[in-house]
Amino acid sequence: MSSLTLRNLKKRFGRVDVIRGVTLDVADGEFVVFVGPSGCGKSTLLRMISGLEDVTDGELRIGNRVVNEVQPAKRGVAMVFQSYALYPHLNVRDNMGFGLKVRKVPAAERQQRVSEAAALLKLDALLDRFPRELSGGQRQRVAIGRAIVGHPDVFLFDEPLSNLDAELRVHMRSEIAALHKRLGNTMIYVTHDQVEAMTLADKIVVLRDGRIEQVGSPRELYEQPDNIFVAQFIGSPKMNILPAGSAAGFGAQPAGAVSVGVRPEHLSLVAPEKGQIGGKVVISEYTGASSLLHIRLDSGETCLVVVDGDAPEADMKVGLLAGTDNLHHFDTDGMALRKSRLLM
Amino acid sequence: MTARDERAPWLTLKMREAMEAWLFISPTLAGFLIFFVGPLCAVVWYSLTEWNLLSQQSVFVGLDNYDDALFHNLDFWQVVRNSIVFAIGLVPLNMALALALALALSRRFAGVVFFRTVFFAPVVTSAVAWAIVWKFLLQGEAGFVNQMLAGIGIHGPNWLREPDWAMVAVIVTRVIKMVGLNMILYIAALQAIPRDYEAAARLEGASNWQIFRMITWPLLGPTTLVIMVITTIGSFKVFDHIYLMTGGGPENGTLVLAFYIYQQGFQFFDVGYASALAMIMFVIVMGLTVVQLALRRRDT
Ligand SMILES: Nc1ncnc2c1ncn2[C@@H]1O[C@H](COP(=O)(O)OP(=O)(O)OP(=O)(O)O)[C@@H](O)[C@H]1O
Ligand SMILES: [Mg+2]
Repeated sequence: MSSLTLRNLKKRFGRVDVIRGVTLDVADGEFVVFVGPSGCGKSTLLRMISGLEDVTDGELRIGNRVVNEVQPAKRGVAMVFQSYALYPHLNVRDNMGFGLKVRKVPAAERQQRVSEAAALLKLDALLDRFPRELSGGQRQRVAIGRAIVGHPDVFLFDEPLSNLDAELRVHMRSEIAALHKRLGNTMIYVTHDQVEAMTLADKIVVLRDGRIEQVGSPRELYEQPDNIFVAQFIGSPKMNILPAGSAAGFGAQPAGAVSVGVRPEHLSLVAPEKGQIGGKVVISEYTGASSLLHIRLDSGETCLVVVDGDAPEADMKVGLLAGTDNLHHFDTDGMALRKSRLLM
Repeated sequence: MTARDERAPWLTLKMREAMEAWLFISPTLAGFLIFFVGPLCAVVWYSLTEWNLLSQQSVFVGLDNYDDALFHNLDFWQVVRNSIVFAIGLVPLNMALALALALALSRRFAGVVFFRTVFFAPVVTSAVAWAIVWKFLLQGEAGFVNQMLAGIGIHGPNWLREPDWAMVAVIVTRVIKMVGLNMILYIAALQAIPRDYEAAARLEGASNWQIFRMITWPLLGPTTLVIMVITTIGSFKVFDHIYLMTGGGPENGTLVLAFYIYQQGFQFFDVGYASALAMIMFVIVMGLTVVQLALRRRDT
């Protein structure tokens, strides 16, 4: 088991800065999720931790060891690839035992460790199959099994579930959560999927353009985003950002507030005359449990609202209410003006 | 839609699809029949006759030509031996070199295209130009190759004038000419292997050699088989290179099957005998191919 420390980590490919100074502490046994838009450097950061990409600048520690110059195999990390990367010419048993074999672990012990991992992941019946004979979910489990067999300190997952269908994803997500609980290892997990991030993470790291935008628990990121980017990235559908002027009806604003954010699920619909601000329904999308309304405000902006149960039809005039607790205020740079500061 | 339209068509869908398929392959099929099956039948027939181009007379002699080649003509076995030596020298050397070059040139680095071009260029160079240059380089004492060898204290042989060295020389110069083709095939195969395999193996502690032995080499299997088959066939069919470099000499030291057939047919005009030889060569090459494919099937 190991903690992880990143100090001002940088990565340059040729003349392109991909990781521009990342500082992060990961506690022993923590489940950390990297999220961010495509191309922001999530995979690169993960590969730097694994040693598959070298570090251009900064310091990387695993446990108490600086590992910048340590070979990938000697870092005590295992990685699960998005493509699974199962060797097609080896059966499940040999795929899982590959790392032990190259490290010259005796056959008997190898056998035993493969069996243990197979039992843990319910792969016993599949040991003699080849990857091409497995379903997507089974391949994913083999890939995880191959990581487990090496008894790593740190697990790295690069979008491990993105090739699975929705149902299987939900299932594998809970299996990974259970695995983390059971093994207690430090895990770093890259994903595009909000729900995966929110449900699995002890700590979410939001990346943009090779920099960290915010680090925090899922609840912290949802309730207290540091800036507009994080506010809109976390939560679905994304937070409405309105100019301070248009949102004046919602209540007092701190000095310096340029825009106001409010999540679609925190707005409620009332009769036009009772609303803090008014608008007209443009589109009403029925999704079963709730409906998503696109509302054109009287001030001209479009605003999303999630309502439970019956939703008004298109073209109806409506009023909107938002509790002050649910408002987020941002300055000209898009940085959050915190409520605590407002009260003081 | 009227009832009339719903009636089963005159030809079923399946039959129409079959007809289309035949239509599409017919040009190739015609070419195959005219330019391969036709001549093959002719050669089979010629091989059963005593036909001298000069006398314009053709006499049916049954299997006499085969009997001659296999049991009475000592030249024939010497020639077969030469062909085998040529193949055994050329195929492993060509494949090993092709693989080594491909491993070095399958990654991206500055200048890689230049190097690939350099090694592929001889493949598309005229065989005549290639032979002229190498004959010049391989001259006795004064030749460039021997001068270089002298530079490091080795007294080189007179390459093209001594039977055994001539064989070495034609093998090596042929390998250098043709290796680029197999290199390209190997590069294509290497680039088709997902990079994640190597990354995963490296993370698990595999050395470069282990990655090659346990992952790359097995995954190259199908390509290696194809390369082995086409290179072996090519080596048995080698003609122009021998014709231009040594003319089969010295002392028949490089007289290989294809060149021997040419001699018998077009220099001595013994078409019947040459045809029988051609049939024997056809059987040898077919046999080798079948054996290689079978070995491969047993492996996997
Ligand atoms: N080997 C490389 N050479 C040059 N640029 C690279 C290399 N690998 C990645 N990049 C660049 O680095 C940036 C970050 O890539 P990375 O794969 O880390 O993104 P990501 O956040 O994982 O994206 P995604 O969510 O699409 O997987 C991209 O702009 C990419 O083009
Ligand atoms: Mg990625």
